[in-house]
Amino acid sequence: MRLGLVIDLDVCVGCHACAIACKQWNASGTIGPLSDYEPYGAEPSGVWFNRIRHYEMDEYPHNKTVNFPMSCNHCEDADCVTVCPTGASYKRAEDGIVLVDQDKCMGCNYCSWACPYGARELDRSSGTMKKCTLCVDRIYDETLAIEDRQPSCVLTCPAHARWFGDFDDPDSQVSRITRERGGFGLMPELGYNPTNQYLPPRRKPVIEVNTQPKGGLKESIKQFANKLVRR
Amino acid sequence: MHPAFSVIFFTVASGAGFGLFSLLFIADTFKLGGGFSADQLVAGGLMSVALIIFGLLSSTFHLANPKNAWRAFSRFRTSWLSREGVFAVAFMPLALIYLASIMFDAPLWLRESTGLLAAVLAWITVFSTGMIYACLKTIRQWNTPLVPANYLALGYSSGSLLLLLGAVIAGLDTTPYIAMSALIVSIAAVLKAIYYFWIRDPGLSPTINTATGLTRAKVKLLDTGHTHGTFLTQEFGYQLARSQASLLKILVFVIGFGLPGLMLVWVFTAQGGQALALVAAVAGLLGAAMERWLFFAEARHVVNLYHGAQRC
Amino acid sequence: MNARIKTENHDRQETKYTTCYMCACRCGIKVTLEDNKVRFIQGNRNHPTNQGVLCAKGSAGIMKQYSTAKLTQPLMRKPGTERGEGVYEAISWDQALDILTNRLEEIRATDPAKLAYFTGRDQMQALTGLWAQQFGTPNWAAHGGFCSVNMAAAGLYTIGFSFWEFGAPDWDYAKYFIMWGVAEDHSSNPIKIGLEKLKRRGGKFVSVNPVRTGYSAIADEWLPIKPGMDGLLAMSMVHVLLKHELFDYEFLVKYTNASWLVVQTPGEKGDGLFLRDEKNHPLIWDIEKEMFKNGEDGDIAPALFGEYVAPDGRRVKTVFSMMAERYLDAQYAPENVALQVGLPAESIERIALEMAHVAFKEAVELPIAWTDVWGRKHDKVVGRPVAFYAMRGIAAHSNGFHGCRAVHFIQMMLGALDGPGNFRARAPYPKPIPPHQLPENNLDIINAPNTPLSRPPLGFPTRPEDLVIDEFGNPVRIDKAYSWEVPIASHGMMHMVITNACNHDPYAIDTLMLFMANMAWNSTMNTKNVQDMLRMKDPEEPGEYKIPFLVVIDAFHSEMTNFADLILPDTTYLERYDTISLLDRPISEPDAAADAIRHPLVTLDRDVRPWQEVMVELASRLKFPAFTKPDGTRKFTGYKDFIVNFERSPGIGFLAGYRGVDGTKSLKGEPNPNQWEAYIANQSFFAHHWPDNQKYVRYANKDYLEVAADAGFVGKVEPIIMQFYSEPLQKFRLAGMGLYDGPQPNNQVDRERLVKYFDPLPMWYQPLEQQRTDANEYPFFALTQRPMFMYHSWDSQNVWLRQIMAQNYLYMNAGKARSMGIEDFDWVWVESHNGKIRCQVKTMEGTQEDTVWTWNAIGKQKGAWGLKENASEATKGFLLNHLISELLPEKNGERRVTNSDPVTGQAAWFDLRVKIYKAAPGETGSWPQFDVLKPFPGDERYERPNVLRYDARTHEKN
Repeated sequence: MRLGLVIDLDVCVGCHACAIACKQWNASGTIGPLSDYEPYGAEPSGVWFNRIRHYEMDEYPHNKTVNFPMSCNHCEDADCVTVCPTGASYKRAEDGIVLVDQDKCMGCNYCSWACPYGARELDRSSGTMKKCTLCVDRIYDETLAIEDRQPSCVLTCPAHARWFGDFDDPDSQVSRITRERGGFGLMPELGYNPTNQYLPPRRKPVIEVNTQPKGGLKESIKQFANKLVRR
Repeated sequence: MHPAFSVIFFTVASGAGFGLFSLLFIADTFKLGGGFSADQLVAGGLMSVALIIFGLLSSTFHLANPKNAWRAFSRFRTSWLSREGVFAVAFMPLALIYLASIMFDAPLWLRESTGLLAAVLAWITVFSTGMIYACLKTIRQWNTPLVPANYLALGYSSGSLLLLLGAVIAGLDTTPYIAMSALIVSIAAVLKAIYYFWIRDPGLSPTINTATGLTRAKVKLLDTGHTHGTFLTQEFGYQLARSQASLLKILVFVIGFGLPGLMLVWVFTAQGGQALALVAAVAGLLGAAMERWLFFAEARHVVNLYHGAQRC
Repeated sequence: MNARIKTENHDRQETKYTTCYMCACRCGIKVTLEDNKVRFIQGNRNHPTNQGVLCAKGSAGIMKQYSTAKLTQPLMRKPGTERGEGVYEAISWDQALDILTNRLEEIRATDPAKLAYFTGRDQMQALTGLWAQQFGTPNWAAHGGFCSVNMAAAGLYTIGFSFWEFGAPDWDYAKYFIMWGVAEDHSSNPIKIGLEKLKRRGGKFVSVNPVRTGYSAIADEWLPIKPGMDGLLAMSMVHVLLKHELFDYEFLVKYTNASWLVVQTPGEKGDGLFLRDEKNHPLIWDIEKEMFKNGEDGDIAPALFGEYVAPDGRRVKTVFSMMAERYLDAQYAPENVALQVGLPAESIERIALEMAHVAFKEAVELPIAWTDVWGRKHDKVVGRPVAFYAMRGIAAHSNGFHGCRAVHFIQMMLGALDGPGNFRARAPYPKPIPPHQLPENNLDIINAPNTPLSRPPLGFPTRPEDLVIDEFGNPVRIDKAYSWEVPIASHGMMHMVITNACNHDPYAIDTLMLFMANMAWNSTMNTKNVQDMLRMKDPEEPGEYKIPFLVVIDAFHSEMTNFADLILPDTTYLERYDTISLLDRPISEPDAAADAIRHPLVTLDRDVRPWQEVMVELASRLKFPAFTKPDGTRKFTGYKDFIVNFERSPGIGFLAGYRGVDGTKSLKGEPNPNQWEAYIANQSFFAHHWPDNQKYVRYANKDYLEVAADAGFVGKVEPIIMQFYSEPLQKFRLAGMGLYDGPQPNNQVDRERLVKYFDPLPMWYQPLEQQRTDANEYPFFALTQRPMFMYHSWDSQNVWLRQIMAQNYLYMNAGKARSMGIEDFDWVWVESHNGKIRCQVKTMEGTQEDTVWTWNAIGKQKGAWGLKENASEATKGFLLNHLISELLPEKNGERRVTNSDPVTGQAAWFDLRVKIYKAAPGETGSWPQFDVLKPFPGDERYERPNVLRYDARTHEKN
């Protein structure tokens, strides 16, 4: 299995629902808690696994705003795992999920240097590196209803801009939708082979209209005629 | 990249330590300038070991969870950071046996073989340190063979200047030491110049377009999704003004290479001059520290593309 | 294979269902609790509103529950301290209730109007309104007047339902969707769900909005309109549709008043009113029978166009003829409005034609048999799959009522209402146009002590006789709603209450109760001056404030609580019983009537009480008739009991589900003693799914209307005929002209406003404030919106949400900023006719060039909301509110007039114009700054650590 996410940039409205659902689930999840620094103070910040950035393409008035959620890409060739000196970072053979063993991590930040996507964040309180687990503690929890065994970001996304599934299965929804919509991985030139795929904004639908109709254009009330229409 | 003091101190100190040790071994083997006495060798060796240990200790300061530091030896097969640790630790007993062999006048084969092995390990360790950075595809300024070359050259150049200082203090014939220093410092300066020249051109590096996959138009950051800093901005967000970088580069060359070079000439002509050798050694270390600071400060991690940088 | 993955230990967990209250969307939530601690809040998959998804606010509810801004006990302003100093003493609930009861008792026994009771973004207006009605004060309203009443009123006076919460786009069939002026709004999750559905099916999404963020980001086409020009754009589209003869003739004839005849006797009484028969039915000209006939009847073949002569000799003309004459005029041609609205003429014409193409060439037909209200059977439903949604962007202008109506005109012309793929009604809508509910205006009843009003304080006037004015024509309500100044102020005018009360205009009040409304900060115009007004002493009554007693009910330490004389602390939404009633703001979806409840999930840990409970208590103590038995004892033991047993009319109560003694009846039935339990067992909501034959065309759907009449949604089964031409407006206009048989205004200002702005067909005029300010001096339009992750949420931030945004910027068009030498993060002064502020700029492409905007309510007063003094919300965040005046700029010889829509009283937030210039070097930080709020007694329980590590788990912690 190669589990990962598809993120649909065409419909993501940038609402941050996935980010907070992630924070919420993982705060009390297997690698929680996730520290919040200066939560009531001048410059609040904290540990998040999923962050939404917002970009603008092109220039006014042809500009388009693109909302861009990012979390761990669970790369095929995950340098964050290769560079880890302690073996805390690992990629699961059975499903490709990249995890950090909190009991082994020494907090050297080196894996975060190797990650091009900013997926890893150090928790200063525990001194360990933390990151998206694809909600590994949800997706394998057999006490949950089957439809609930999904990452919390996917479950919550109001715009259904997030899909979870197995990219090794060519018939899975994530594989199909990636093929059909021309999904892409980020920064392919670095060769990390990210598992997560992004679907580009769709092309604008074209609707044919005729500005000069055959019957001509009405200029005054006199040109309209009553029709016999019964209520 | 955020220039962390602990890492700068560590790489400069341990580089100098390993360099000093290796060159000390060469000086001992070939009895350069008449050769150091046993006591002098041991003192120099201990000094290099102290620099290394000091550096290693300092490097643990940047660990957020140092209680797991011992685990860092476990991924020798894949991680340069792990390798650096393993080589550094393997170096230690050999270096100490070598020094003990000198002190207790052990058989030459023991002294020479442990010394040679330790010197080789020292070289490999510094190389590994360089590779920690050079293997990262995420940082264009680091992802080059010039980086381990630079690490080696600078480590050995500061080591050679320390050794020269030792030779001056010990009253040896300084000519071979001056020659050695001059050679290594020149190589280091040339390599550093090549490096600075090389990183000026971004080439086909990732851009905000490839980072976002939005390749059909100009892309600009609108909002990062957080008002204040995050781990990512703290760790990777450091940005150095171009003018400041240029100034620092000049200083690296003037202090790190020019000044020691001048001192070498002076020491050579003045014959002696402990103060001059001291200035050369201190300038070399200072230059190395500045170089190292710049090495971090100038490095732009590709994650900055997601925070609005157009190209890294 | 997953041996190493530890899944969660659920032994000590329980899952409960309730309703979210982080915004007005009111989604169903599934809350996992572990030892009374909130582990996880997720969307309820079975809930009709959110279908399992949940927004950022909903998830952040967990941090709201643990907010350090929560009030902990009743508080009384310390005797000897001044209002606004923020020095309080804790008192017991008994003391608090005694103080309040005594005060209210006296007011009620003397002059009930001396109590003003206004509520914020609450979701229990049915109860608060009933309470006010029973108290006998006309001075009650919720925040609709400053939110989006233009939208509601325009819909309810035009199509019988409206944007806001009374309808929703049909996402399953729509192929073309235009969103007008919508930030994230009510129905936020349904809209997100819907936009994705629409786009997945290849539908086109057009956004009309000066700013391209949020929903507009994913629009296929963005129309960066200039603020306040929406009506003009819509009317230009109407022009294009007329010019191309692209309108649904059949729909206009059947379901609208387009064929009704309007009397044409300019300058005479009766001009512009419908021609009516002796039974007062509006008449049409039947082209088959060649005679005048009742326009409400089924068996007619009306002329859509034409001028006729009535039997009494008066000239009459069809509504649609009048419309065509007006909007065919070249002044509405795209090329002639393009410059003003800021959009290319080509785009305006093309969008209109695209809509028409989709409506008429890509119609949807569903094989659903249904019967119309005139008794004819149909074997299919035809949908013209064009849907709209519109909101505050159009509404919050002083020309918004007409603008909103113009948008409905497009829908009616396309026949695109409540059919498949249209904007569809949500029960209890549609209602008669306007709804048959008039505001109480009987002075004898209003002035009578200890007497409830005979009808609610709010309603929908149809003629001058319905105004709430005294015998001299002066306002009777403290907010002047339903006065000549703002005759159709159907949601009241909360934004005027403090100003009017301080000016003793129209009179002085004794007590102001504010529930969940931050009227001393982000929910008021003119914040700085309003704070001063709250502190203002009455020179005639030494020692008294202009507003003598101020009661604030809130759950959090807001800027408003700091001005209270008495603070009654409320609970969070996870700690109380609550109803989301069909009598109130519905959560129904087009395919289902729905309501919901909340019930306590988390044990209370502070001395606070749910406001609904306190209201029932006060109502009982004050012996309101509806809350008291004939023997004088209390009728209800508490809120739960009240909800179960109170019937508005027989069989109809606050909750529509699980009625009847055994809980088997829906919509109507006897009280069910176990109704709460039934709701809890059914995941805290009730949904009545409409059968297929009752899903569409409900303004004229017999089977639906029969059910609706039985459930009390409408009075009786009769067609709801949409009103292009609004006769009520014409009646007010005639009054302004002195041509009305009935009350007429005697003030020249009122007369002029009625004549000018009560046009029975939509018109565009320059927003009122802009008529009085110099566009050259103040070149920018200035707007606000709330970010998606904070929209409509009660305290707008918590430790997670504020990490996303803890400071707002003034956003400008990048090119424009460049031309002014302004760069990102520059500090600038922003100045309006009402004052100036200092804030920091960010530039962007997605902002119309003449517009600047910011995120509202990010700025906080120091010390408020449980934050530390140095929070960037307080040091760098800012409010645009200071620049907006609740009154229009003064005009010589004229009394000060509200800065609101002259028809509905909608607060004209977005009429603001400003100038911008760079701050001097060294001038940084937001300005103005205010005193630091002092902590309340009880605040010491909150730690506010420098690092927070929330973890709900009771075992196996890392």
